[in-house]
Amino acid sequence: MRVAVVGNPNVGKTSLFNGLTGARHSVGNYPGMTVEQREGALASKWGGAEMSFIDLPGTYSLSAVSEDEAVAFRCLRGQDVAAPDVVLLVLDATNLARNLYFALQVLELQQPTVVALNMVDAARNAGIAVDGEALSKALGVPVVETVARVGEGLSALVEALRTPGSTDAIAYEAEGAGALAEGLAALESAGCARVQARWLLCTAAAETLHFTGVDPTAQAALTKLGGEVCRDAARALIAARYAKVDALLAKLDLGKATESAPAMAASERVDAVLTHPVFGLFTFVATMALVFVAMFSWADPFMGLIEDGIGALSEAVVDGLGPGLLTDLLTEGVIAGVGNVLVFIPQIVLLFLFLGLLDDSGYLARAAFLLDRSMSRLGLHGRAFIPLLSGYACSIPAIMGTRTISSWKDRLVTMLMIPYISCSARLPIYALIIGALFVTTPEDAWISPAIDRGLILLSMYALSTITALGVGFLYKRTILASPTPPLVLELPPYRVPRLANTLSVVGDKTLAFIKGSGTVILAFTIVLWAALSFPREDTGAGGDGPTRIEASYGGRAAKALEPAVEPIGQDWRVGIGILGSFAAREVLVSTLGLAYGMEADEEDPVKLREAMRSDRDEAGKPVHTKLSGLALMVFFVYACQCMSTVAVVKRETKGWRWPLFMLASMTLLAYVAALLVYQGGSLLGFG
Amino acid sequence: MSLTAASLELGRSGVVDDVEGTDATAVRLLEMGLVPGTTVTLIKRAPLGDPLQFRVRGFHLSLRRAEAARVVVTEAKP
Repeated sequence: MRVAVVGNPNVGKTSLFNGLTGARHSVGNYPGMTVEQREGALASKWGGAEMSFIDLPGTYSLSAVSEDEAVAFRCLRGQDVAAPDVVLLVLDATNLARNLYFALQVLELQQPTVVALNMVDAARNAGIAVDGEALSKALGVPVVETVARVGEGLSALVEALRTPGSTDAIAYEAEGAGALAEGLAALESAGCARVQARWLLCTAAAETLHFTGVDPTAQAALTKLGGEVCRDAARALIAARYAKVDALLAKLDLGKATESAPAMAASERVDAVLTHPVFGLFTFVATMALVFVAMFSWADPFMGLIEDGIGALSEAVVDGLGPGLLTDLLTEGVIAGVGNVLVFIPQIVLLFLFLGLLDDSGYLARAAFLLDRSMSRLGLHGRAFIPLLSGYACSIPAIMGTRTISSWKDRLVTMLMIPYISCSARLPIYALIIGALFVTTPEDAWISPAIDRGLILLSMYALSTITALGVGFLYKRTILASPTPPLVLELPPYRVPRLANTLSVVGDKTLAFIKGSGTVILAFTIVLWAALSFPREDTGAGGDGPTRIEASYGGRAAKALEPAVEPIGQDWRVGIGILGSFAAREVLVSTLGLAYGMEADEEDPVKLREAMRSDRDEAGKPVHTKLSGLALMVFFVYACQCMSTVAVVKRETKGWRWPLFMLASMTLLAYVAALLVYQGGSLLGFG
Repeated sequence: MSLTAASLELGRSGVVDDVEGTDATAVRLLEMGLVPGTTVTLIKRAPLGDPLQFRVRGFHLSLRRAEAARVVVTEAKP
């Protein structure tokens, strides 16, 4: 038996889903859509696999105004996959005045439906006299009172789901006259059922028919009706539904809940501080600082542990198998690849933990409210801010975090902006180059060595930030042009977030990352390893012969391509470094080390800096200068030197088109910018 | 010029007459409960003056001025 869980956002749908299902969920995409849905079997204490749940996205309506809503409707109607056996409709007892609108839309479908009247405790605390039995009589379907956060009422809910009963048809008086009658008649004679006709009229009025997969006959009928009739029909239908909601509220003796918001009284007092012009902004900055510091530094020890674990595993393999091709493949290809996947997990977990807790508590909506003005200048939604900020730590979780942005085009713009933001993997590169080539002696310093280095570093961050914003501004107005998304944002009541709940979601998302992007990252690692390890001839390294990496296919390619990196002030060694660092930017340091003939395990930054500084060409001039160093840093500010970013964008956009566009455009921009710096600088005599 | 939700004074209420325009935003505003006859109260402006926060149908809804200006209201007696 399959149960679809539906409801408005912020009604505790996810808590209910987590409470009803066991610990294991699968995260998948609705066929052909970017909308994500979670599935899980009933917890074993109630009988396990006999019942399975699909957690549909929380929506305010079933009219296909957004992709989420289109998915919810199509899933409930069984248009693409089999319809669920039962619909579990979650209603927020503190806000029936709006929730009942959605409830009517669900009941119109006439599927067997069970209502979970959730948060009855909060409603009663706020003095709202909700009564499940009365609601059940009024709606004609079973209603179970629940407090999903603490698991109250779940056993009764499972019982009710086993024997759902039927749902009566809903008709509105307004459907007998005017534009609504005309529209329904036209669509019904084109073969649509009544529910389908209602859905199409509202969607036509919203001009979002592309979400509906409408058939040509119905499309023709809608075109014949014209925009004016669809608009008036949709308005009449929405008004009729709300009239019925008001009648239901009167029947339930809940009064005309339109004037006051009793359940919001406490939240209003919290908002007096949290959205206050001074304290609100202060709290916001402090919260973001916490998220930022956490992603930057709290993740560090865990990433270290993962790296140590991978190192120990490699050593064990070397000890067990002895040196050889298989050992190299296992350690430098497979185990390193697995490490490249796992190393992202601490930051992904932290970001999603924070996002989840902030969202659950109701604060994320306030952050969007505070930030909307500045983000809308860019043409983006307030919700784009947190993913962009997270990009300073790591692009991978940041790109995954764009899922909170509902407009697809805006989400893409944000995803394309994020890799330009200087992530933490660029720091070792800046550190190497600044350390090797800038302010090498105290007399060299403009203010003091430390301050000078800091200023150079800061300018790289400034360059990356300005570019990311510029790129967003440009894409939003050209290839991904769309109007600034409207802000129609509910500010839900504040609630204490449940850690267990958030952790369950975080776990599901992390597993989805490993499954979805892990394979691509692993494959890339093995290919790169092969390119830099074959052919495996003895090169006489250590003597005067070329280093192994120099003799590899990758090394030969880099040598052959030296004329391409010369104009940006680099030699073939950096060429190999750029090639190798496609695995991850920080790999530049170790690959450069190998190219300078250092052993893989002696990653001594001081030695490498010294080697770069004293490297001379045939004419005896330094190979690396301040100007070439600057050009290289600028290259790394812009270049998409991170296969994991490519893999994760491929997964999020479901195809290679956008990741390849991102890779090509970023590499081109990186090259052109580095060229301008080096050639421009040379012309001006800074060489 | 008619009164809109965007031009309400802080703390004042209006009764919705109409939501102007034909597009996804208009349908969204109506479906969020801003149907004719519904009372809306402006309770807050964001620190930079935009967006606005309204109380409507038992919940709090935030709209930008641009969207709120499409909601035509008649001022309710205080």
